[in-house]
Formats: sequence, C-alpha cells, structure tokens
Amino acid sequence: MIKMNDLSKVFGDKEVLKNVSMEFSKGNVYGIVGENGAGKTTLFRCIAGLESYSGEIISDFTPLKNHLGLLLTDPFFFTMITGREYIRLLCNARGKTNLDIDSKNIFDLPLHQYASTYSTGMKKKLAITAILLQENEYFILDEPFNGVDIQSNIILTEIILKLKELNKIVIISSHIFSTLSETCDEIHLLRKGEQIKSVQKSGFKNLEQEMKEMTIGNRIDKLELK
Amino acid sequence: MKDYFNLLLVLTNRKIREAGLHPVLGYLLGFAVFIFLSEYIFYKTEFAKYLVILVCLSFQFRLSEKNRTEFLLSTFGDKTKNKIRILENLLVGFPFVSILLFKDLLFEAGILALCSIVFALVSFHSHFNLSIPTPFSKKPFEFSTGFRKTFFIFPMAYVLTLIAINVDNLNLGIFSFLLILLTTLGYYSTPEQEYYVWVHAETPRIFLKNKVLNASKNATFLTAPILMSLLIFYPTEFALILGIFFLGLLFLWTIILAKYSAYPGEMNLPEGMAIAFSLLFPPLLLAIIPFFYLKSITKLKFLLNDKNE
Repeated sequence: MIKMNDLSKVFGDKEVLKNVSMEFSKGNVYGIVGENGAGKTTLFRCIAGLESYSGEIISDFTPLKNHLGLLLTDPFFFTMITGREYIRLLCNARGKTNLDIDSKNIFDLPLHQYASTYSTGMKKKLAITAILLQENEYFILDEPFNGVDIQSNIILTEIILKLKELNKIVIISSHIFSTLSETCDEIHLLRKGEQIKSVQKSGFKNLEQEMKEMTIGNRIDKLELK
Repeated sequence: MKDYFNLLLVLTNRKIREAGLHPVLGYLLGFAVFIFLSEYIFYKTEFAKYLVILVCLSFQFRLSEKNRTEFLLSTFGDKTKNKIRILENLLVGFPFVSILLFKDLLFEAGILALCSIVFALVSFHSHFNLSIPTPFSKKPFEFSTGFRKTFFIFPMAYVLTLIAINVDNLNLGIFSFLLILLTTLGYYSTPEQEYYVWVHAETPRIFLKNKVLNASKNATFLTAPILMSLLIFYPTEFALILGIFFLGLLFLWTIILAKYSAYPGEMNLPEGMAIAFSLLFPPLLLAIIPFFYLKSITKLKFLLNDKNE
C-alpha cells in the first residue's frame, strides 16, 4: 500500500501540487492523467523521494524508494555505458547481482552497444528492462508507451498486467488513453496541481469522453478549416 | 562566431559568480593558481613538461566531444565550426604553451600548439556499434565509462614503466603510476544525475564506503603491473613506492568525497582550494577527508532517504 495525505509542493511562489490525497493498493494498476504541467511528474518525483513536499506519504515497504522501480519520461544514460552495464548498474544498486541479463532481454536490445546510440524507443525499453530486473514492489512508469514501437507496446501492456497479477502496485501516466483503459483499475485526473476526480474502471469511457470534450472544446472550429 | 564566444564568456563569468567571486577576481586567482602550480611541478619533477602537455590535451579532448561538435556543426556549418574549435583549443592551450615557452621548451610548445590545431578538427566519436572492452563491466559506471574515455593512457603508462626500468629511472616509473591515478581522479570530477544516486538502496555511509572501496580496488588493479614491476626492480625503495601509491589512493578518496560534499552541484572553489592545499601539504588530507565525508553524508541524506544518519 502507498498512501498520500494532503500532498503539496511549491516551486518558488507556484503551487504545483495542492493537497493531493490518494491511496494505492497491492495488485492494482493506477493511471494518472492530466495536461502538460498538471503536476504528474512532480507527483511521481515526490512519491519517489526526489522532491521535498509537505503532507505525508506512507507505504508498507520502507523506505519506499528502495522498493520502487522508477521509469522517467526521458531516461538519462551515461556516454560509453553499454545496455548490459546499465542494467547491471541499476540492479547492483538494489543489491541484485549475478543476474542472467541476456536471457531476460525480452525486447531483444543490442546490450553490447552503448546505450547512447540507442533510439528513443530502445532507450525506454532498456530502462524498463532494468527496473523490472530490480524486482521492485512498486512501479512508477512516467509515459512508458511514448516512442516505443507497437509490438513492444503490446509486450509492455502484458508486463503491466503480469505485475498486477504478482500483487505489485503500478502507477502509470500516459497521454494515450487506450493504454490506460486497458491496464488500469483506477484513474486519477489532475489539473493544475489539483486532484479533480478519481474514476473506477466502469467510468473510464465517460472520463475519456469528458477529457476529449474538455481538451478539444471549440478549438477545431476556430481553425475554420475549409 | 563572435556571439558564441560572448556567450561562452557570459557562461564562464556566471560560473565564477556562482562560486562566490567577482569574475575579475576569479580570473586573477585562476592565473595565480596556474602559475603557482606550474612552478611547483617544474620544481618537483623533471617530467613537468609532459604533465603540462597531458593536462592541456585532456582539457582539449573534452571540448572535442561528439555531441558538442555535432551541435556546433549543425548550428554554424562546417567552416565556422572548424574556426570555432581551433580558436577554442588555442585559447585553452594558450596558458600551457606560454608556460612551456617561458621554460625555454620551444619544441614542446610547438608540438602542443600544433596538436591543439589538429585536435580541433577531430571529434571523438562514440557512435560505434561495438564498445571498447573494459575490465570494469561487472560494477559500472565510473571506471567502466572512464576507462573507455581514457583507454590510451594505460598502455602509454605501462610502456613508460618499461622505459623507466630499462633506463634505471625510478622517478619515471613513479610518474607512470601517478599518471594512472591522476587519470582515475578525473572519473569522479563531475556529479552524476540524481537518479543514479537515488537508485541505490543504501545509506549514505554504505554508499560512500562502496564508492571508495570500488575506486580503490579498480585503481589498484590498473596500477598493479607498474607497482609490481617497480617493487621487483627497486626492492630497496619499497617504502617510497608504496607510500606514494597510498597517497595517490588518499587523493582518490578525497576527490570522491569532495564530489559528494558538493552534490548535486559541481565541485567548486572551496573544494578545489582544499584539494590544492592538500597537494602542497598532504598531511592536510587527515582533516580534509573527514570534513568532506561528513559533508557528503549530509548532502546525500535526502536523496538516499536516510532518516537515521
């Protein structure tokens, strides 16, 4: 379980998270949606312990960060580190050694090559592989489907469902609603740092429609396309 | 091109201000430290000229990094990029060439000036499909990536040792293992992105202990062939050889701890001054190492979520 009570975060005089309270239970997948700047990444960074905050975050595994697999939107790679070394680095950091990395290379990545030479999608797949091999209890995946090819998206969806089956907690943000509706049990909508609503699976269709209307509005009409 | 160099000047001035100094004072201080260190190494060792060339080339090598060169190429085009790179290398090389000229080392100064121009036209590509093998693959990242960036130093140092033994020059032998230790110090000079600290499920104490142990083990591995050879051929000088080696290791620890004492920022003037003073008077390390260690613990506490230390 991960529980947040009245989580707030301020950068300068800008409040980017306002009294957010959420609870994440084992064996469930949660989606966080919102426009750019809604506070999704800041929320993830607070949960991970990469940002200071006011409010409270409690979890059954402590410290939370030591049991968390964090996939950043745009993972950073050192120059001249190979894919295999990157995975090893992240696993060693969590005390996982002597892994048979090659047999677990499910995305068929060229692990002997420098990670910096990988395409955007390959980099994301490498980062995902590494956090999966860390054997975490919690996962935060910030835009995991972005830049990844369709075949890997299918694999990734199955991985998320497998993690749910293994009783893990998975929190995902995605701009592709279909990927969330396929995997999530609950979706939280953020807007300008505020938690607007939380929707269960049965309400996903309405939420998607609502988001569409809210996002599009009369913008297309303004173009007066002819 | 003029705008580019103006921007570089603005960025450099900003860095000096961030270190808490007025830019003019920063340049004067930098100049004084450079002169002082140059005089010191020329006074201390007959291999100072090689050290001057090596340090200069290592700065220029950084400027030739692939992504940087590609950015210049895409922004300014081929011709202007080459002009910028030559000018940059000459600016960096100027103090080093000047000091060699001042010491009447005309040939070495000429070679360094020539290399500065040639290196400006080369970018060091890391875009191979095959990676350079490294003995440090099991425990990445500082030594595995650092080794690849500086792999040419090691055969050079080993050959120097052979020459040292052949011409019966212990100082040259000591210089060759100091060269390796100096190279490894560079692996810890810049802070890594916070994610790579955060990801460790360790307390700050364990984190630092592992960093220091790993660095010591790897540095010993790289210098072992030289140390063994020198101990075999100069058994009576074992105290001197081992003493200098352990002092080198202490400096490696100092750099690691200095890096995390300033984390997530870069090492700055106070850390640089402390290291420079301990170079002049090594017993200072006994105070500096614990100081940096305690400061590092404080700096790492938040990212490693350690509420107990």
